[in-house]
Amino acid sequence: MSKLKDILSPFTAWNNLARDPVTIKDPINDRPGAARYRGFHQNDIEKCIGCGACESICETGAIRMVEVDEVETKEGDSGLRPEVDYGRCCFCALCVDICSTGSLTLSNEYIWVDEDPEAFTFVPGIDKKPWDNNQDGWKKPEPDYELNIKERVRMPEMQAEERENSFVEIVKGYSREQAIAEADRCIDCGLCQATCPAHMDIPDYIRAVREENLKEGFRIMYKTNPLPEVCGRICTHKCEDVCAMGHRGDPIAIRWLKRYIADSVDENEYQEALQQENPKDKDKSIAIVGAGPTGLSAAYYLALMGYSVKMFEAQPRAGGMMRYGIPEYRLPYNALDQDIDYILSLGVDIQYNTRVGKDITLDALHEKYDSVLVGTGLHAGKSTRIPGTDHEHVYQAVDLLREFSKGNEIPISEKIVIIGGGNVAMDITRTLARLQNQKYGQVNITTTSLETEDVMPADQEEIDEAREEKVNLKPGWGPQKIEIENNKIKGLHVQRCLSVFDENGRFNPQFDESQTDFFEGDMLIEAIGQGMDISYLSKSIRDGLDFTQRGRLVVNDYFQSKQEWLFIGGDIIQGPDVIHGIANGHKAARGIDMYLRGDLRYE
Amino acid sequence: MTMKKKNDILSRLFGKEHRPQENKHNQPADADSGKSSDAGKGGGTGSVPGSDSGASGEAHYSDHNHNIAPDHTEDKYPRNGKDGKPEVDLSSGKYTKVWQGPNHPGVTGNMSLELTICGDEIVDAKTHVGYLHRGFEKLFERRLYMQVMPTCLRMCVPESDTNEYVFSEAVEELSGIEAPEKAKWLRMLVLEMSRLQMLLRVVPGQGGAFGLGIGVQWGMYVRELILDLFEELTGGRIYHMYMLPGGVRGDLPEGFRERAIKTMDEVYRFAQRIDDVMFNNSVFKKRATGTGYIDPSWVDRFGIVGPNARAAGYNRDVRKDHPYLLYDQLEWEVPVLEKSDVYTRARIRWMDMQVTADLIKQILNKIPEKGSFKAPTPNALNWRIPRGETYVKAEASRGEFGYYVVSDGSAYPRRITLRGPSYTHAIALLEKMLIRTNIADVGAIMVSLQTCPPEIER
Amino acid sequence: MHQFLKEIQNRFPIHDVKEQRKNLTLFTTEKEQVVPLLTHLRDHEGFTHFVLLTAVDWIEEDLFQLTYILNNPEKKVDLGIRAYIGRENASMESAHHLWEQVATYQRELKEMFGIDFPGSPRVDEEFFLEGWDDIPPMRREFDSKKYSEETYFPRPGSKSHDPGEYMKQKLYSDDYEEEE
Repeated sequence: MSKLKDILSPFTAWNNLARDPVTIKDPINDRPGAARYRGFHQNDIEKCIGCGACESICETGAIRMVEVDEVETKEGDSGLRPEVDYGRCCFCALCVDICSTGSLTLSNEYIWVDEDPEAFTFVPGIDKKPWDNNQDGWKKPEPDYELNIKERVRMPEMQAEERENSFVEIVKGYSREQAIAEADRCIDCGLCQATCPAHMDIPDYIRAVREENLKEGFRIMYKTNPLPEVCGRICTHKCEDVCAMGHRGDPIAIRWLKRYIADSVDENEYQEALQQENPKDKDKSIAIVGAGPTGLSAAYYLALMGYSVKMFEAQPRAGGMMRYGIPEYRLPYNALDQDIDYILSLGVDIQYNTRVGKDITLDALHEKYDSVLVGTGLHAGKSTRIPGTDHEHVYQAVDLLREFSKGNEIPISEKIVIIGGGNVAMDITRTLARLQNQKYGQVNITTTSLETEDVMPADQEEIDEAREEKVNLKPGWGPQKIEIENNKIKGLHVQRCLSVFDENGRFNPQFDESQTDFFEGDMLIEAIGQGMDISYLSKSIRDGLDFTQRGRLVVNDYFQSKQEWLFIGGDIIQGPDVIHGIANGHKAARGIDMYLRGDLRYE
Repeated sequence: MTMKKKNDILSRLFGKEHRPQENKHNQPADADSGKSSDAGKGGGTGSVPGSDSGASGEAHYSDHNHNIAPDHTEDKYPRNGKDGKPEVDLSSGKYTKVWQGPNHPGVTGNMSLELTICGDEIVDAKTHVGYLHRGFEKLFERRLYMQVMPTCLRMCVPESDTNEYVFSEAVEELSGIEAPEKAKWLRMLVLEMSRLQMLLRVVPGQGGAFGLGIGVQWGMYVRELILDLFEELTGGRIYHMYMLPGGVRGDLPEGFRERAIKTMDEVYRFAQRIDDVMFNNSVFKKRATGTGYIDPSWVDRFGIVGPNARAAGYNRDVRKDHPYLLYDQLEWEVPVLEKSDVYTRARIRWMDMQVTADLIKQILNKIPEKGSFKAPTPNALNWRIPRGETYVKAEASRGEFGYYVVSDGSAYPRRITLRGPSYTHAIALLEKMLIRTNIADVGAIMVSLQTCPPEIER
Repeated sequence: MHQFLKEIQNRFPIHDVKEQRKNLTLFTTEKEQVVPLLTHLRDHEGFTHFVLLTAVDWIEEDLFQLTYILNNPEKKVDLGIRAYIGRENASMESAHHLWEQVATYQRELKEMFGIDFPGSPRVDEEFFLEGWDDIPPMRREFDSKKYSEETYFPRPGSKSHDPGEYMKQKLYSDDYEEEE
């Protein structure tokens, strides 16, 4: 019986004659790839920043970063775009998953062919293809799907309660594990390097953190920046603004990694780590006026070149704004001294308490030295000049910060109003908040700025931390008048500020007169910016210099002025910030070297 | 789960055919083979088929076994030499060398057989591989761990997902990361779908190796339906690149569950049809029964795993023996049969196919709606794995499939090597099995071992 | 620790025992002890299933690591046995008589790492690499990229740029000098 069944049973296959065919009649049109299909690439050229993460993850070497005419190289965008070689591509889409900006995707196109084999290598988004606007295809999966960590490693900080009456440094610094974890997030694209004013080798020193080769990292930093302890704390970190990781997450904490490297090398290990000395083999000497970032940076590089360098500093200690502007809780003096001491240890001579223009003239320096660099910075506070600013209890923030840094007592009252929205305003606000806490046991400070919070020039973390320290922040108000009664300050009248700059980007604030407010206070501080004091330039020197129509000094690319022996850099020219000063100092040092060799003319 | 309930599942699927093995999960179940089983446990010095001491297992199976000669002292067969290999005197004119391959019906990938034949019977066989050596294990040395993922899955082309899984699991284990629960369910889904599409090829492929092509067409159609599901879920049809260290690369698309469950009905329908045209086919039965017999005693001696071992009465399945992912939350029983010849092995894969469809339905109903499908992992470009080594295995459709991964603490693996079932099945075992078979059955025997050359040479 | 491990420890010198998972333990033994240990495990401890044999090249330490993985189907545990041998004239006692498939693994190791297993069947026959005339390719010193560049003819294709370097050339090449 079963034998018979085995003969008959296969004939059931004939049943299929009655079935409808299952074939797709016109697969080219009727069978698009699925919504997640991994077909040919698409790239949103506007969104792409040419970071090359796609090339780095590509395991077949199918992606190359190529020059394209359509895109310009600029800060934050290398101008390169990925070219895909489909002879190599395995359509794994890891390039899509790791894309920093989310510009790269795959379409669901899979049937495209061409007779020319070279057509299978193209730059998606630049070389137009029929599937460029396909909506379907592989996109980075959402949510919670990342091939990297989007959040930066949190920096351990002193809590608001601990710090509110203390000048101990708030930021504690990364531990070894934290630093390595943060360094691991870096995709090594190098986009940051162009934006850093000093063009520090950021990817290289981050790699040194990752590979735990910290002395090497330290040497890399000193190539372009002799103040790493300072920059590791208070740099304006423009690099982080263009960090590729910042497009979809937190940028790499480049500044904190720099600090980690700098902190890891002990003061007495500097010589061993850097192995540098001043060969003193040049018979030319240079005077530097002002021992701020520009002067110190220039002194360092000039000393390494073998020049004799003499610095003149008006204050009793070196550092300029780094010492006399920035509060200790952000930049402790020992960290600053560590950087400065190393520079001075290279045989740089410094004369303190000597104000050029008063104690010694610039012309005298010109006579005695082969070249002079001035980096005197911006130390003269600007005034709003609203009615009442001539009152004796109206102060300039920079003056108070300087006096406080010198250890002198500064005036402090119970209710203070501060005008300004930049980092200096935050520095004076938070310094006075600490002093109020120490003296009165509570904070009563109102800090107001023209800018609303989203456009305030101060760092966001400064703003947040000031709030945590119980400061009353009032952004978006324009000061009108100081209320004075019986020669005592009562407070500040303000109007709502609608916009700060006009469409040309010029400072031209617009107010809504109907919205006003009054901030009570018995002491008022202005922190709206600083100006330069270049009274040390004698008339004869000044007449030989170029100024712009708006009164700015003109120098060439090497910070050489029209008086060719005179180089001018730092906040006076560019900034204001430390890292520009350092970069200027480095470049001016090279300029001076060229000038002294007879290779540089002002043109 | 009680034994009764287990039996319910299998009897629902297979009626009386399945004979559960009580308390004997790892030993040959058939009392008749007890003797040979002991011999097998005794060690490697025992006999091999074709050796002059006689193959164990012949005694109770010779009535089916038309191609093992009843008397091997006949002159027709060369005597074995000291090394246990037949001594062939080609100058006698009795023997011919035949190079068969590298393509074989029903085998994915290429390998050759150097056969010494006497008439149309094989007296000696050697396998030759090297057609597919892509050097993956060398290539891994210069790939980041994440870059290994799109490469490693090519080590076994037709069932790539097992590669992805064991690699991802090994990296997770070495770096102390655990995939989220949802990812585990999705991984199981993909692994079972992968097994299913493989079985849809290989079950009718057994008929194809004997010239019965129609089942192959039907199987391919149902397989395409599974590949459609893969395309929807993973974005790829063959190379899915879906699992990666940390989890998987996507959630279920909308409506996927319903479509997939519906597709499983096609699988059961196909199973019925192939039963009618192949398993109940007198020609197929005649060719397949008794051909390519695996004695239970060989299982440990040759390292036989998966369906090839289960058809010989061994209840061995990595999913049951070393439950990985969440397989212990599924209700199922491993099909085990006896008398492992071509027919039985095809039959056990036919049962596997339906069990797998059943598992897919269970999994689909258990995948949680909410939850993440990937654990956070460090930057793929700088991911260094702590120094260590591990061996992670899973049950592929062919049996135990594992990766041995060694990390030296860098971002690049020190060593990744694959243990694929075909490495033993298609070399040591096949070379012995082919002796005294007919050259017309070679392809069928290779298919019945589910030979996969790409996993041999990697 | 598993009971059987204590048993083994009484009989064989083993060290660096690591329980990687509850069903996988790895340890190291001396190379002379490997074959006796495998035999013992197979015959007395129920490790009847031979899983794999492979080698790891620790070129920095001038050693090859051999790893034998066994499985006990009853107890459902895997065991990894490590042994180290010198890279120079690397040779190891053959275990082909214990399981039939071991000879295949040994043949592969001979070809890919140059590790000899005297007495192993067909150990000198070509396996994957017909006509190979270079050093055994799985040795770390074999540079597969260099080999392929010298042996094949890559299409030149476009030039790829490092984004950081490219921006340096484009935006600030004169601001920057490479020191030393």
